[in-house]
Amino acid sequence: MFDEKPKTFQIDARRRLLVLGGGLGLLFSALTSRLFYLQLLKSGTFRDMADDNRISLQLLSASRGRIFDSQGRLLVENHPDYQLVAIPELASQHLRRSPRDRSGLIRLLELLKPLLQLDEKEIQYVLKQASRQRAFLPLTVKTHLTWEEVSLVETRIHELPGVTIEVQPQRHYRTGTLASHAIGYLGEVNEKDQNRFSDIDFRPGDLIGKSGVERAMEPSLRGMDGLREIEVNAYGRQVRELRRTPPRPGQDITLTLDMDLQQEAERALTESSGGTGALVMMRPYSGELLVMASQPAYDPNQFVNGFTPEEWKQLNQDPNRPLINKAIQGQYPPGSTFKMVVVLAALRLGKLSEHDTIYCPGYTTRQEHRFYCWKLRGHGSVSLHQALAQSCDVYFYELAERVGIDAIHQQALRLGLGSLTGIALEGERAGLIPSRAWKKSTHKAGWYPGETLITAIGQGYVLSTPMQLAVMISAIANGGAVYRPYLVKPERPAPNPSGQKAGPAAIAPLWHNHFRPEQMTLVHAALEEVVHGALGTARTAKLNGVRMAGKTGTSQVARHRRTQSGSLLKTTQRRLMDHAMFVAYAPAQQPEIAISVIVEHGGGGGTNAAPVAKRVMDLYFAKQRGESLPAANLPGSTPMQPNPDDELAEDPPDETPDHP
Amino acid sequence: MRPALTHHNPVTEPPIQPADPEDKTRNPVEGVLSVDGSTTLGWQERWQRFPWSLVLLLTLTSLIGLVVLYSAAGVHLNQPESNSSQYLLRQGGRFLLGLGLLFVVAIVGSERVYRRYAYLAYGLTLALLVAVFLFGSISMGARRWLDIGFMRLQPSELMKVTLVLALARYYHDRAVVSGFGLRDLAVPLLLIVLPVGLILKQPDLGTAIIIATVGTVVIVIAGLSWKMIALSFCLLAAGLPIAWNGLHDYQRQRVYTLFFPEHDPLGSGYHIIQSKIAVGSGGFLGKGFLNGSQSHLDFLPERHTDFIFSVLAEEWGFVGCITLITLYLLITARGLLIAASAQHRFGLLTAVGFIALFSFQVVINIGMVIGLLPVVGIPLPLISYGGSSMITLLFSMGLIAHVAIYAKHHRKTI
Repeated sequence: MFDEKPKTFQIDARRRLLVLGGGLGLLFSALTSRLFYLQLLKSGTFRDMADDNRISLQLLSASRGRIFDSQGRLLVENHPDYQLVAIPELASQHLRRSPRDRSGLIRLLELLKPLLQLDEKEIQYVLKQASRQRAFLPLTVKTHLTWEEVSLVETRIHELPGVTIEVQPQRHYRTGTLASHAIGYLGEVNEKDQNRFSDIDFRPGDLIGKSGVERAMEPSLRGMDGLREIEVNAYGRQVRELRRTPPRPGQDITLTLDMDLQQEAERALTESSGGTGALVMMRPYSGELLVMASQPAYDPNQFVNGFTPEEWKQLNQDPNRPLINKAIQGQYPPGSTFKMVVVLAALRLGKLSEHDTIYCPGYTTRQEHRFYCWKLRGHGSVSLHQALAQSCDVYFYELAERVGIDAIHQQALRLGLGSLTGIALEGERAGLIPSRAWKKSTHKAGWYPGETLITAIGQGYVLSTPMQLAVMISAIANGGAVYRPYLVKPERPAPNPSGQKAGPAAIAPLWHNHFRPEQMTLVHAALEEVVHGALGTARTAKLNGVRMAGKTGTSQVARHRRTQSGSLLKTTQRRLMDHAMFVAYAPAQQPEIAISVIVEHGGGGGTNAAPVAKRVMDLYFAKQRGESLPAANLPGSTPMQPNPDDELAEDPPDETPDHP
Repeated sequence: MRPALTHHNPVTEPPIQPADPEDKTRNPVEGVLSVDGSTTLGWQERWQRFPWSLVLLLTLTSLIGLVVLYSAAGVHLNQPESNSSQYLLRQGGRFLLGLGLLFVVAIVGSERVYRRYAYLAYGLTLALLVAVFLFGSISMGARRWLDIGFMRLQPSELMKVTLVLALARYYHDRAVVSGFGLRDLAVPLLLIVLPVGLILKQPDLGTAIIIATVGTVVIVIAGLSWKMIALSFCLLAAGLPIAWNGLHDYQRQRVYTLFFPEHDPLGSGYHIIQSKIAVGSGGFLGKGFLNGSQSHLDFLPERHTDFIFSVLAEEWGFVGCITLITLYLLITARGLLIAASAQHRFGLLTAVGFIALFSFQVVINIGMVIGLLPVVGIPLPLISYGGSSMITLLFSMGLIAHVAIYAKHHRKTI
């Protein structure tokens, strides 16, 4: 019996050992399968996580492309901005009194305080920043250092451990306010910009073009940021550099604008009667812009350095709206410059021949409502020539009735009015060319015949931008081709999307009106008469040695108040004064340039807008002839002579000028 | 006079028969080994019966450990003063010391002596644990060490060995035929609960768990009736929810983070997440010796002690891990075979206890490093840097080797 029992025990113990061994085997196979899962099935994921741990990316910012004018003059560059950068760890190592002292940065700031004129607020800000980041990472103490500050620090650099002067490129607009609307400015990237460039990863605080060419040419100007891959340890300290992709700098850009002309235009606008306005000068055979001016302007450098709240408020609330590019964003009634559209519509329909005359008694009556001509005495019997040259309103009232609003609407659209010109700038306005359909959908009312009359003289609902008027006058000058205006010189000739035959400048127009040459001759002659005729509304703005053709306009801002007899009451409130407009091209026979001017609240177009155009045109032709800048362009050297025949410029005969 | 506790147990041990010196085929151990442990094996026989395969496996594993330790303790940017060869020399020295101890325990020592002093050793270790509880030195938030001049002693490490010896002694002395009942469980449970409570108090959850597990394994192998095993399982299953409800909210939270560290990626979860990244990114062949980015760029915590396995996994990949696990498995298998062939219950239970101790430490450590088990401080046997665990481990392996020398059925193995 004793022999049996031990055996039972031994066998049982062995069985239990087997169970234990099996259990341990199961546990080990659980470990193995977990390792199989982690190291074979999921190893890619974990390898990425390990790389995320150890690899830190640093952006090497690409320098932004520069901007030149058509003469190759540098307008926008990247100015070095000197910044003082300190590494707190190095400062602590050299400035501490004891090994555990961590106040090295405070001491360093005390040393820097007299050199940089740091105030207490700045020091507190730097210390706060320092407490948020690791001690071996560089910390920007001060930006925008002056030369004196840089040299002061440089001479004492050995007493300032951990301090370096770093150079950051900063956008600098050399010409200040000149052409600021065309060039634009930079601003911090926001959500909209991120949506616009979905393939670029912006960092908060990145700068991006916000308006003008800076915005339009963002993809070329920006370049491509480089990347530095560094290996860091668990504390973020750099161990070594793994790879470096150098940044690709942005492309330089050449504008078609000529800064001599631009400057003259801005000056002329400022010195004009209104003091504000816009001027567009373009080549009628290509749409190349030589001048795009809008006054008043702003200084884009301010956007770089930052505004004080007062400055920003002032800029934003200025009634003259300096931030608006009036050349493409200002919408004005085109006034008499619109009359050409009516003429062309009538000629196209064959409802007008050269020698038709209309009698102008100073007004015309429709449904017991009087429509006045600007010349209350009346022009008498006027032909097409005279009507355009003297801008007789009654002639166009009659003509408009013959043609009808539909044809006028159609012709205006064919000349590029009422739709975007397609210039690659942000915020362009389309203006407005009214039609029956438009009136029905917007005002829920039918078209009244009287509105056709008002439309014919560019008043009422009609709105256009100076850029559209420049495109219109170009189309008239070149025989009907409507070009897309551009202000950046293309690197390659642009493709020809419209299938139109390319013009002389090898640029295809958007579309072509194909006016009949004999009709164009008629219109051209009449427009020449505006400047060179004895009674022309712009006869005081003749150019030096070149014949110009144009059309004045006076666009009404507020309803004119008239006395009982119909004569005009003159307003003295600037806000209510008429806009002076002028569109022209020169030379009259072979147009090289077309121009469109608006002087806001300037008064009559012939007296106030045409001389502005003359100054810029004169300078252009003087440059063409190789003359140095003529002295005649100095401010004040060409006193403006009032033109007695300018639209709405004359004093009503029965009123005294100082009558309220 | 009380009979000696090491008296011959006629139930659990074969009767003493005088050996027949003329029998050529006899097992030299059979009948020769007296119950009171006086061996009659000559030195040469002991040398021949020594389980060389076990020592070979242990040496191989330790060599792998030294290679990994060299990388894990390599020069780091933030600790330029640390020197990996210093770590290597110390750890290698400890291994040699432990190996010497193993040979002495296996060849010179005798089971009789171990059995006789088992309770005494247990009592002394328990006293040391109480001493730790009263005046141990605190380091890293735990009171685990006793400063005794030339070294810092960690009595919980000793307790792993002495508890197994005490339990083996207890069951060696009890003659039980058809499994133990409840009454035979009281003393062993007390033997386990006392040190476990003291160690939990330190606090050292990992060691407490290991000791409790190993103690339970010894009781079960010793012959706890299957009925009792089933009963305790039921009690445990029923008791857990009650205990869970009795816990405070913050205690539950702590248990929760113990099991789901990912919910706290910057706090307690940081270690385990970084460790999993290191293991997973190693892939099949690993990143190569000294090329582990997770370990060399300081992302891995405790990388030369508790988390050394992730260094191996990162630099040597799945292949390295499987190699090491295979070595561990071979050691376990060899140990269990030795236990199965043990002459006496004492030898069997010691061998089983030590093998369980060894392999449960492996499983818990690797399981925690690869995110299967909660993070508790358990070193990886033979690999982790640390003196106490290396010496106690090799000491316990010496006892297993001793059991192997006096095995009932000696097989010629390498």
